[in-house]
Order: sequence, then C-alpha cells, then structure tokens
Amino acid sequence: MINIKHVVLIFCLLTLTASVFAAKATKSDAEESIQSAQQLWDKSIAVGHEWNTVKPLVAQAKQAMETNDFAAAVALANRAAEQAELSLVQAEHEKTNWVNNLPK
Amino acid sequence: MKSLLNTLTVVVMLAVVSIANATPEQDKESFQRFYTERFPDITMEDFGNGVYALDQDARNQWEAMNDFPPYEDDLEKGGELFNTAFANGKNYASCFENGGGNIRQNYPMFDTKRNTVITLELAINECRVANGEKLLPYKKGELAKIAAYMTSTSEGSPINIVIPNNGKALAAYQAGKQYYYSKRGQLNFSCSNCHIQNVGRKARSETLSPALGHTSHFPVYRMKWESFGTLQRRFDSCNKQVRAEPLEGQSEDYRNLEYFLTYMSNGLPVNGPASRK
Repeated sequence: MINIKHVVLIFCLLTLTASVFAAKATKSDAEESIQSAQQLWDKSIAVGHEWNTVKPLVAQAKQAMETNDFAAAVALANRAAEQAELSLVQAEHEKTNWVNNLPK
Repeated sequence: MKSLLNTLTVVVMLAVVSIANATPEQDKESFQRFYTERFPDITMEDFGNGVYALDQDARNQWEAMNDFPPYEDDLEKGGELFNTAFANGKNYASCFENGGGNIRQNYPMFDTKRNTVITLELAINECRVANGEKLLPYKKGELAKIAAYMTSTSEGSPINIVIPNNGKALAAYQAGKQYYYSKRGQLNFSCSNCHIQNVGRKARSETLSPALGHTSHFPVYRMKWESFGTLQRRFDSCNKQVRAEPLEGQSEDYRNLEYFLTYMSNGLPVNGPASRK
C-alpha cells in the first residue's frame, strides 16, 4: 500500500535527479538543444506559422549559453523547440481545417 | 442506419469542399450576408465605421473626437508629399491613372503581366523607385501619409476590387482567403475567430469589430500609434495579439490577404482616412 509519504519521497527523488542532470548540462548539450530549436523554428517560418514566442526563447537560450549557464540554455531551448513543434502541428492542422472558420 | 450516416457524412464533406472552393463572388455574397443578417439594423455603409457601428458609447466619443480629427496635420503633410516633385522633376501623379486621384477603391489590384497583387502602398514605392527615389518604409511614416492623402481623394467611391478570371489571380485570392481563416499564433486564433465568429463580443474591454468594411478607411490614424498606419501595420498588430510573428510589409502573404479582405468589402464606399483608438 502506497501512502502519501512514499509519493512525496518519490517526487523529491525525481526532482533531485532531474536537477542533478540539469546541473550537469554541458556546453555541447546547450549547443545541440539550441540547434535543434533553431531547426524547428526555421521550419515553422517556412510553413508560415511562426509564433512570436519562439524567437525570444532562442535568444534567451543563446544568452544563457554565453554566460555559461548551460542548464538554463538547455531548458530555454527545449521550451523554444516545444513551441516551434506545436506551431508545426498547427500548420499541418490548418491545411485542411481552416474551412471550419468560414462564415456559416 | 449505417448507410444513412455514410450518406450524411459524404453530403457534409461535399458541402465543406464546395464552400472552400466557392467563387470569389459567392464568397463575397455569403460574407456580406453573414453581417447583414447578424446586424440587421446596421446599414451596409455603416459597416465601414467598424466597431463604432456596433457600440454607441464608443461612437459618441469617436464622433466628438472627429470634430477636430487627430490626423489633419498628417493628412495635409501627405498631400504636400504627394505633390512634391521628385529629383527628376516628375511626381507621384505621373505614375498613376487619373493623376493618382480617386483610385484607392481599385487597390489592391492583380497585375496580370507580373502575376502578383499590387497594393496602393507597393505602387507608391514602385513609383518612387522608377523615378530614382529611395523606398519608404511600408507600414507607417511618409508612405502611410501619402496613401492617406490618396485615400481621401476617393472618399465615397465604392470599393471595386477586380479578380481576373485567371488561375494566378484566383490562386492569390485563395491564398489570402486561406490565410484569413487559418488559426495561427500561440493563442490559436484566426482573423475570422475574432471578426466573424465573435464579432460584437468583447475581448477584454474591446468590442470585436466586423470584418466587413475593415479595409474601407485605411490608412488609419490610431491614437495608440499617434500616427497613420497602413492596413498591413494593422495586420501586424492582430498577429502579435495572437502571438504569431508578423510578416514583412508587402510580403506576398500580406498582399494576398489584403486582396481577399478588400474584395469582401466590394461595394462599400471608401471612408478614409479614419481615426481609431
């Protein structure tokens, strides 16, 4: 039987593990994450569905990398990548679903 | 029962496909009918006054403000710029039909030689380049003032956008239409979600204006901008509000959007330039 103490303990352990891994992010991790975000961002521009939230996140990620805060750089680049990916999903969805917004 | 459902599905799909591929004329009719049925007390002409056709309080304030229109100085400056000769001695009037007077209602137009949409602002800048002058920024400043002056000479003339029956022109129109109805930005809104589906309702403290008549009065002097801005500057604002990245001024997508949206207001009189909050 799992009680609340076990749940809290597991949560703390997971948070600690995550923070240890995040703290261990290297410059190459940051570079890789930023590059990946940049590629997705470029794709979203190409399909005409760029979100204006992505550019500042990539800029912040690059700034964090310059100050050697690689964990922050990875986290920011991942957020940028996630949002760019969602904009690509939106672009794909709207290829056919835009007709639902016509006046009825 | 199953076959009935299948039949219904096919009928709905065919209806959607036929709406998506309607002719521009059919689109315009259903677009304008939507607003006249939704707001039966508003005259067609009054839709050109945007939100002030729907919100009496806002209209009273706007009309009071228009006793001394905030754009008068900029409009006068636009007239001066329009009439100032280029270094080669020619002027803007030399580039346009009818000397540039009373032509706003025909823009954007589709150039069948170049197979592209030409907006008035693009034509003004092309006139400058053809006469050895530098390009002006597209969304505000001197170009917006010149366009505002030219718009003022068209006051009362019905918008008359022509879509030639050729594949390229129809493709440009269709691209503008698809842009208008596509959701974009992090907030996942299309232009129509505000100005068709939610027209007249509030977004925070603002009443959402009807899309019919949106293009009849640009460039607009917005109090927020403290200057004239072109229609494409307004597109930027809408895009930013839904957290989409605005496009370059006179990009193909914006020109196609302007083409579609202005065609939807065909028949409404030009009533610009105008002021807005």
